[in-house]
Amino acid sequence: MCGRLLSLLKLLKRGAEADIYLTTWNGMKSILKIRKKKDYRNEILDTRIRTLRTIREAKMISEVKSFGVSTPLIYFVNQKKCEIFLQYVSGKLVKDLPGNVIIKICKEIGRIVGILHKNGIMHGDLTTSNFILTKERLIIMDFGLAQKTEKVEDHAIDLRLFKEVLNSAHVDIVGKSWQSFLHGYKKIVGGTRMERVIAQVSVIEKRGRYANVV
Amino acid sequence: MLCLGIESTAHTFSCAIIEKKRKQGRILSDVRKIYRPPEGEGIHPREASRHHAENSPRVLSECLQKAGVKINDLDLVSYAAGPGLGPCLRIGAVVARSLSSYYDMPIFPVNHALGHIELGKMLTGAKDPLVLLVSGGHTMILAFLSKKWRVFGETLDITLGQLLDQIGRYAGFASPCGTKIEEIASRSSTYVQLPYVVKGNDVSFSGLLSATKRIMPKGLESACFSLQETAFSMMGEATERALSFTGKKELLVVGGVAANKRLSDILVSICKRHNCAFFVAPKEYAGDCGSQISWLGLLESSKKNGVQLADTFVRQSWRIDTVEVPY
Repeated sequence: MCGRLLSLLKLLKRGAEADIYLTTWNGMKSILKIRKKKDYRNEILDTRIRTLRTIREAKMISEVKSFGVSTPLIYFVNQKKCEIFLQYVSGKLVKDLPGNVIIKICKEIGRIVGILHKNGIMHGDLTTSNFILTKERLIIMDFGLAQKTEKVEDHAIDLRLFKEVLNSAHVDIVGKSWQSFLHGYKKIVGGTRMERVIAQVSVIEKRGRYANVV
Repeated sequence: MLCLGIESTAHTFSCAIIEKKRKQGRILSDVRKIYRPPEGEGIHPREASRHHAENSPRVLSECLQKAGVKINDLDLVSYAAGPGLGPCLRIGAVVARSLSSYYDMPIFPVNHALGHIELGKMLTGAKDPLVLLVSGGHTMILAFLSKKWRVFGETLDITLGQLLDQIGRYAGFASPCGTKIEEIASRSSTYVQLPYVVKGNDVSFSGLLSATKRIMPKGLESACFSLQETAFSMMGEATERALSFTGKKELLVVGGVAANKRLSDILVSICKRHNCAFFVAPKEYAGDCGSQISWLGLLESSKKNGVQLADTFVRQSWRIDTVEVPY
């Protein structure tokens, strides 16, 4: 069975920590995400990271579904091989959309992140390439770095990363898209909580190298 | 065009002369004098600046002599205006100002981090790389986009160089201790579990620092080995994430830690996986040197005139992502 499956694999993307294949699962179009062994990493460390993240991703995806966040469905997890079969979702990565659309979408991204945070989950890898816009809705994926946490610091790390991504990859629209993100975020977590998280974002930024402290 | 570059951001005082013809640069000389703190201690800014002040005349004249150039032949002078240690930066700036006013040369304050990148590009021939800048002062992953180097990932607290130095000092060595740690690590292959902290494209080393200190009494060799494996794998992953996000086809590594063999092995393996060309600054020009400042001065002078003496600043906190790059 496995052999037959593998012959139908098509490599879609060689990601940072996993290879993404297009395949089928019980007749359904499916994405296979394999966290392959990395030769450059010490074996103990490598196994620890890959296993932990595979389990965590699967767990988190099921959990966030329970409070209404749209993610790809999980079909099957092979913990030993660090493989996850996921639902195939057709759409476009937010990263590749035109600027004016990204600005609008950022509000929805903010809303989704707000829901995650409100339910005590940080995503850990909030980039514009981890959101897919389908015809119906916005889908969030890649929960390998997600964590259960209520801490303001952790939530602020999510926001800071997203800001960093806007600031580097989407320079032309950083101001508007960040505002749009915050707008959506505020709707879910409320003004007081948002202010606290944003204040913590500044604290983190000041901790950075050569931030404007002097 | 001949430019004298003066570097004095941290422990190194260096003068270098580069000749630029069209877009080609040739390093005529690069003389350095490095401040060494006592064993087990870090840089003391005042002592370092005293060292720089005392050594500057000798480094400067040796630099001119090696290049076979007279001061009057120089077309411009550039100095590292930041980021760095204030007292040290001021020494370089004073030398540059004196030369500029006495010999009536245009003067260019330049960004030290940008110097690392531009010199690395010039020496390796990388065109549009993702840059990994790893040193005592920086741990950043950058790419060039609409006129500025944008940060795609960086350390949230201490740098990779600081991490290695602090562990080295804790073990009683004199900083910089990267080489020493690499050597000790090579004697072990016992991995002890340490915290591995990657947050998106960013890394954090402070927890790793404390945890490594804790395991050091149980064996320095395995501690150094585990430290390198963990820290470099974190860097590797952050780099991989940035590569896959930006889709860049070149990776350039610059800064003092670029000299580490284990780190570059990891990065080579990553580049292979992503079908990406790997460039690393040659060992003698990876760390702080006058050449990086001189070359950047030459690039600046192709687009701008020098600044007025009154505007020759030094800025301890001068982030590279705030510098506009017109060339």
